Amino acid sequence: MANEFLHDYQDSGPSSDEMFDETGAFRDDYRELGEMLQGWTLDDHLQREERADLALLSAGITFNVYSEDEGTERIFPFSLIPRIVGAQEWSRVEAGLKQRLRALNLFLLDVYGDQRIIKDGVVPAEIVLSSPGYRPEMAGFRPPLDIYAHIAGCDLVRDDQRGMVVLEDNLRTPSGVSYVLENRTVMLRVVPDLFPRWGVRAVADYPNQLLNMLLSVRPNDSGDQPRAVLLTPGIYNSAYFEHSFLSNQMGIPLVEGPDLTVGDDDVVYLRSTSGLERIDVVYRRIDDDFLDPLVYRSDSLLGVPGLMRSYLNGHVTLVNAPGAGVADDKVVYRWVPEIIRFYLDEDPILANVETFSPLVPAELDHICARARELVIKPANESGGYGVLIGEQASDAELEDTLTQVKEDPRNWIAQPLLQFSTIPTFDGDRLKPRRADLRPFVLSGQDTWVIPGGLTRVALREGSYIVNSSQGGGSKDTWVLNEEPG
Amino acid sequence: MLSRVAENLYWLGRYLERAENIARMARVEHEVMLESGQEIWHSLVSTTASNQLFWDQLVESPDLTHSEFLIYTMQNPASLRATLVRARELARGLREHISREVWEEINALYLFLALRKEYIARDIHEFCTETQRRTQTILGLYDNTVLRDEGREWFRCGMYLERADMTSRIIDAKYHILLPGGDSVGGPFDRFQWTAVLRSASAREAYRRTGNSEVDGIKVAELLIFSQEFPRSLAFCVQALQRHCQLATAETPNRRRAAAERGIALLHLDIGVMDMEQLVEEGLHEFLDFFQKRLIDIDQAITDDIFRAVPDAEPGVGRFQRQSQTATGIDQN
Repeated sequence: MANEFLHDYQDSGPSSDEMFDETGAFRDDYRELGEMLQGWTLDDHLQREERADLALLSAGITFNVYSEDEGTERIFPFSLIPRIVGAQEWSRVEAGLKQRLRALNLFLLDVYGDQRIIKDGVVPAEIVLSSPGYRPEMAGFRPPLDIYAHIAGCDLVRDDQRGMVVLEDNLRTPSGVSYVLENRTVMLRVVPDLFPRWGVRAVADYPNQLLNMLLSVRPNDSGDQPRAVLLTPGIYNSAYFEHSFLSNQMGIPLVEGPDLTVGDDDVVYLRSTSGLERIDVVYRRIDDDFLDPLVYRSDSLLGVPGLMRSYLNGHVTLVNAPGAGVADDKVVYRWVPEIIRFYLDEDPILANVETFSPLVPAELDHICARARELVIKPANESGGYGVLIGEQASDAELEDTLTQVKEDPRNWIAQPLLQFSTIPTFDGDRLKPRRADLRPFVLSGQDTWVIPGGLTRVALREGSYIVNSSQGGGSKDTWVLNEEPG
Repeated sequence: MLSRVAENLYWLGRYLERAENIARMARVEHEVMLESGQEIWHSLVSTTASNQLFWDQLVESPDLTHSEFLIYTMQNPASLRATLVRARELARGLREHISREVWEEINALYLFLALRKEYIARDIHEFCTETQRRTQTILGLYDNTVLRDEGREWFRCGMYLERADMTSRIIDAKYHILLPGGDSVGGPFDRFQWTAVLRSASAREAYRRTGNSEVDGIKVAELLIFSQEFPRSLAFCVQALQRHCQLATAETPNRRRAAAERGIALLHLDIGVMDMEQLVEEGLHEFLDFFQKRLIDIDQAITDDIFRAVPDAEPGVGRFQRQSQTATGIDQN
């Protein structure tokens, strides 16, 4: 390769690379982009990277980091080289995600209904009922259209043998979609020349799709002009930018708990300068625990007293439904392939990562014996916190984690260390291979819709497996290629 | 419109206007100080009503200067920097109600301030000029890119109420020169001071254009209080406040808008029936004091009755659980 910063692109050992094949040649989907990049100098790249950062900073596209001082904002590090997904591969992913969400919503309906899957012995009862995401007050309640997980973000990684596999599901309040939209805007501004000849699938339709979905699940008693709001914990929340962005794009009010009130008629109202206005759908970006101080944490100032009463009486729809978290529990995840087969009588299109639960005796033995080859994760943390990578851990760390696993098997899972694929990412003065995952967003309402692409998150440190933004990960634009005109 | 949003837009208008005024006054005072050799920052500190706090802070950090206190320290909630940090915080929460241009300019100003890691006395002029220019850009962009809906009217209400307050404080800081027996009335120093007042209120050109040549304290005060044409005078601001408040409350039930509108209308009437001669006789300071108190009452009425009213029972709605108001990052200072 003649180009100075593609020069010496090192294959990162065991992982495959998205752009280059084993021989170091461009893969088909990346050829056009790769050839374009070869014409760039280092300066071309640096200048554009700087322009992109400046655009993100001045637009205030930032997130807060909890471990730092409150109010500390950072831009989500942005990497110019996009991830490309071919049209064919994408149709498989799209079909797989739709299948998965159909099954997970049926699972939730069943868990809070007849519990057939437990009675039939497919999923052990204690795992479902002991999940922190399980909400007993939802038992027997059927939300509009029987949908619980309206908005889902599924994290995919590419595995050498099986292609894209699902690493985890996020069914509570998945975030990151605003970066998908903003990254595309920045790319169109900063590197318009890189976009391929036949174009890429547009992502800008997401807010319209989201609004249609929200209104499609309105309660039965709502009037001709149903109204939705986005409920945020406020400006100190790490995802505040996204809340503001989405409500703005959809043209719905962005509200905090005290902006809403529930009347004696159990209807939810918005406090406005002209009086009270009825609200039909609440897209809530606060956790179940904080929704309603009368039902959950009584010290919560974020929620709305009476909101659950209104919801359970069918006067307002909460999106996602409380209790949806039981289906994205990392232990329940272990049973998702069985869940898909049980409800749909189909084989999963997208595979799971092989997962061991210490609740199953044989699997606990396996974890203890092969800990060095595994990644051991707490079942109910997000953001990459508390993850132990066997290969990199010290003896003491490993010992400590295994003790915790035995003491509290419900709270842990283990998976083989996935050598998931890398994408060229700029670091210093050249491109280096960095591991990346992909989070597409799936909307389930009247119809199911998958955003073409999603958020590509990339580990910015060499050899790192952790892509979470709170742990120093970055993001990339994701291009789903249009079919070439036949 | 959502009550919290209306309230925050109102305060965004107040903070931006306040910041612009502080920057302008500080720049003028800085020049006056350089030229006259007199340290007069203290009058500015009293203009922003922070005397006590200044002395408290001085105990903790003996090197604190008036200018640093006024412009830079975050310990002074009325400092230029603290005011802008809060404006930006509000704007972050209002992004869907302001244009992208306005947001980006507010954010750029915030980043400009954040890059100044320490206070540098010799940079006051550049710092204040830049801040003033950027604040004015924001106000201009607001006028030209934001939808003229209820929210914009609340923004304007905040802006004009704050401007009336600031102009009255600018005059008040110099009222003693008008007192009979005051130092060297009509002398060169006096003229110098009143010129500074005019510049502090961006009124020098307006003063000349209205047929005055000699700088005279009475005439300066008259322009800044009674002019119907000068957009920073008390009369002009109160009239604008009245207009924008009427537009903002077009959909608000009468009982909730009554107190605020009555307060503004009365203040408007009172200014309309007074003249300068009467003011000097009865005491300019007393008048300004009274004027500021009335503004506080109006602000209170807008806040209590319109922004934070607990809805009364309405048919089909019934009793409401009263909820604690969360802090909105707003102080009443």
